[in-house]
Amino acid sequence: MSTATVGDLVSQPYKHGFVTDIETEKIAKGLSEDVVRLISSKKDEPDFLLAFRLRAYRQWLQMDEPNWAALGYPGIDYQNIIYYAAPKQQEKKASLDEVDPKLLETFEKLGIPLSEQKRLSNVAVDAVFDSVSIATTYREKLAEHGVIFCSISEAVKEHPDLIEQYLGTVVPSNDNYFAALNSAVFSDGSFVFIPKGVECPMELSTYFRINSADTGQFERTLIVAEEGASVSYLEGCTAPMFDTNQLHAAVVELVVLDDASIKYSTVQNWYAGDENGVGGIYNFVTKRGQCRGDRSRISWTQVETGSAITWKYPSCVLQGADSVGEFYSVALTNNRQQADTGTKMIHVGPRTRSTIVSKGISAGHSSNSYRGLVQIGPKAVGAKNYSQCDSMLIGDQAAANTYPYIRSQQPDAAVEHEASTCRISADQLFYLQTRGIGFEEAVSMMVSGFCRDVFNQLPMEFAAEADKLLALKLEGSVG
Amino acid sequence: MPAVALPATAEWLAALAGEPLPGRRQEDWRFTDLAALQAVAPQFWGGSDPLAHVVLPAGVTRLAGAEVPTLRDQTLQATGSAAAWTVRLNQGASPHGLALRVSGAAGPLQLQLDAGDGPGLLALQLLLVLEEGASLELLLHHSSRGANATSLVTLAQLARGARLNLGVLAAGDARASLLSHLAISQAPASELKLTTAVGGWGLSRLEPRVCQIEGAAQTRLRALQLVDGQELADTHSQVSFGGPEGELDQLHKVVADGAGRSVFNGAVRVPRQAQQTNAAQLSRSLLLSERARVDTKPELEIVADDVKCAHGATVSRLQQNELFYLQSRGIGADQASKLLLRGYCEEVLRELPAGAAACHPLQLLLPERP
Amino acid sequence: MIRPDAPLLLEIRDLHARVEDQPILKGVNLTLRAGEIHAVMGRNGSGKSTLSKVLAGHPAYTVTAGSVTYRGADLLELDPEQRARIGLFLGFQYPVEIPGVSNLEFLRVATNARRAERGEDELDTFAFEDLVRERLKVVQMDPAFLERSVNEGFSGGEKKRNEILQMALLEPLVAILDETDSGLDIDALRIVADGVSQLAGPDNATLLITHYQRLLDLITPDYVHVMAAGRILRTGGKELALELERTGYDWVDQELANLEATGEREPVEVA
Repeated sequence: MSTATVGDLVSQPYKHGFVTDIETEKIAKGLSEDVVRLISSKKDEPDFLLAFRLRAYRQWLQMDEPNWAALGYPGIDYQNIIYYAAPKQQEKKASLDEVDPKLLETFEKLGIPLSEQKRLSNVAVDAVFDSVSIATTYREKLAEHGVIFCSISEAVKEHPDLIEQYLGTVVPSNDNYFAALNSAVFSDGSFVFIPKGVECPMELSTYFRINSADTGQFERTLIVAEEGASVSYLEGCTAPMFDTNQLHAAVVELVVLDDASIKYSTVQNWYAGDENGVGGIYNFVTKRGQCRGDRSRISWTQVETGSAITWKYPSCVLQGADSVGEFYSVALTNNRQQADTGTKMIHVGPRTRSTIVSKGISAGHSSNSYRGLVQIGPKAVGAKNYSQCDSMLIGDQAAANTYPYIRSQQPDAAVEHEASTCRISADQLFYLQTRGIGFEEAVSMMVSGFCRDVFNQLPMEFAAEADKLLALKLEGSVG
Repeated sequence: MPAVALPATAEWLAALAGEPLPGRRQEDWRFTDLAALQAVAPQFWGGSDPLAHVVLPAGVTRLAGAEVPTLRDQTLQATGSAAAWTVRLNQGASPHGLALRVSGAAGPLQLQLDAGDGPGLLALQLLLVLEEGASLELLLHHSSRGANATSLVTLAQLARGARLNLGVLAAGDARASLLSHLAISQAPASELKLTTAVGGWGLSRLEPRVCQIEGAAQTRLRALQLVDGQELADTHSQVSFGGPEGELDQLHKVVADGAGRSVFNGAVRVPRQAQQTNAAQLSRSLLLSERARVDTKPELEIVADDVKCAHGATVSRLQQNELFYLQSRGIGADQASKLLLRGYCEEVLRELPAGAAACHPLQLLLPERP
Repeated sequence: MIRPDAPLLLEIRDLHARVEDQPILKGVNLTLRAGEIHAVMGRNGSGKSTLSKVLAGHPAYTVTAGSVTYRGADLLELDPEQRARIGLFLGFQYPVEIPGVSNLEFLRVATNARRAERGEDELDTFAFEDLVRERLKVVQMDPAFLERSVNEGFSGGEKKRNEILQMALLEPLVAILDETDSGLDIDALRIVADGVSQLAGPDNATLLITHYQRLLDLITPDYVHVMAAGRILRTGGKELALELERTGYDWVDQELANLEATGEREPVEVA
């Protein structure tokens, strides 16, 4: 094999590891009922929300941190985390011109220009910096269509009825340990509401940036698509390089009514720690969507490349008759990263359909697991699932695990699962090289070929980016 | 009728195993309700030792008693079986034992392990040592007609080039339980064919654990499990590769009818030293009733890049197009279903050792329905 | 076409190579000038395919002695992709399948890598598609193959046509075709041979590695070399191939035995 090894290829420096020097308002470390109240009062929240938080906090106290995924990480000291950090600018500004230029600069550096002149013409962006949303573009234009796109804090103030109606109805506050924690302390996140019959006129996206060390990020996202509505939403995530681990425990809830659809895409590139596994984000996220209406549809697409540990299973509860759930995932792990990700497709209603396509790439000493559940309930007559889980191994130190659970209680349903394992063979590399294609490009062609079925699902603007991101992450690892 | 648990039984079994009965909080037992086992009277089975008067074919001899504990522990250790609850229970119950050495091409052997209608726990242990190049065809034929439990631990060591064709044909009783742990270690160039066909038990739990100690061996697993009524059938298989160039070909088939529950957990472990492993696992389940339930959970753990590991799983009812094809040839729907079901089962049953045919496995496992 | 004054393209001098610890090439000498078509024949295991892999830079083979000069420069110090970019082409006996990588994209990236080396502009997707459609005619290939993954699920004949298509796009100066005729039915063989003939010109050279005469019925070589035990045992004109067809390889064994007996270590070139 050539002198450059695929192994060398993976270890490219993290390009988003800078820290923005900005004055930040933080509350003291630690978690207590008072801290929960403090967060709620800082955000000037209505009583129902404080009650929601306090109930979740009390439930959390009763729960144990789960360990069934056998992920290896030292215990998290929940009293050593800052639960609220915000850049010191008092109010969210009405105009972007008033936003601290340092913040705008930060997002610009990350490739997310927010200012009027530079912003993407067809994508509305909500930019979240540490615990708060600092800017949301195109709000007015969206409002003309009746679309609400704002930070969840603003939604609490401006649309409390909608928040009260939907928050916590998909992921109950006691759903799991990290969901309970999030419900108690969530700081910000995005809220999207697409009213009946409206096709959202542009892509919506939220960009999450953790800046402060020792700060947990607990964002909460809620998207509601009423009858016949549709929207495509994308989130992106980065964080600076710190040698301590930071906890990111988000909750995302999707509600889809009759004939509506939500396409939710994630490009996750939190800091993954260094090659020895020091530092990096613990990405423990609960994402779930409910297809409540008939013929409704939820499609999750994720490209997971960052984080020291990723632990998430974006799921679909298919209640409505003929509703459809999809999950397309690329998870790439390198060095000491651990990813345990997959999906749950819960078929409740008749003729519900789901598709799962998962591509795992493991390099270095990393561990990459697909864990999925396809459950066919007794009423899901005519339900269908097809799952495909492929693993690509790079080097002989990385682990690829596949745990596809199937539970069926309905004879008139069909569940099909296929899985395969492959690697980049020396012969394939040589073949491409003899056609003048350089080693790195050859690897990157094969990796993106492996992931094509998933990248095809991403909104066009982001597919090329995901391709590049993967090539970058893989630099230095095939050998 | 669901079995009624006797309060003393759980305690008695726990005392024998030196560990409480496994519960739902343990991942390996999450879907396995032990109610049927707990309905067995807390006493040892009183019949005569079914392993006592076995006539051995040429090439098979009894191992000296003194060798047995060492060989047993070797195999348990190689397959990581010592800690399994089913093995602990078996050990604790002072099982009737049969320990055999096989050299050269031995004649076929069949063991009748009939728990009959007597109550209590029948504990049996079988140890097989296949010498280099030895081959054996062995059929274990379990049966029961009463509220009893059979605990069998089968330990086998296959030396280089040895070939073992092991069949388990177990047709039980709705009041009976079968706990069968099979710990098999394979040296390079050995061949194992393990075919299990299980049906009719209130509870059956099969735990085949195969370890290719240095890889480079061949393992072929074929399984059929049928549940009907309130039955529960569970298979937890585990195949691990301790070296390169091992092969696994695994097919697990399920037929779930009535309010039966089927559980399949198939682990395949390919560590770093097991390059060029070629493993394929396929799980196919037929779900025939609205009240039946199938849980399938393959587990593939791979830490080697130059391997082929494929697995697949399907859960469905009989293929409509196949049914239609038969119907279009004038065969009634019922008859067509039966034909397809028999064909589905035969794919596994025909792989049992040749002696099984005389037991009419299809009739035993798939009695004609009214 | 033999022109003694034609520029030297490839000069192989006393080439020794091994794979793992097994020596395979034991002193190969061969010179290719522009315009020439050479055929290397020999039994399985004679080292023919190893020669082609060593020339293309396969990492599993180690050169232990000798030199290979390509247009005056040392070929052996270049990575495989650099060799391809400067005009050396290997047509594989068993082209590799690469699932997921689109054939069209692969062809475009390869073509542009070669063009960049020649100082030509990169072709965008549209311009490339025009080019590839034109070149498809050389091998009478269905454009549908462009949409598939590289060689994935191609029949033996389709794979070989895809190889010649790549050759047509990359316009090599030295094309080495390793058993391009193996596994082809007579129609596919004719199409492939026809493609190779079309692409052979006064400025490039072709090295056909083959087992059988049947390819040479369709492409007339200027030189035929017989390879055995890692060296070229005899070199002649196209009539040597016919002689081999008639007499088989038995004389090769005889000649090898003689070499061993006389302690002759150097290969002899017999005109």
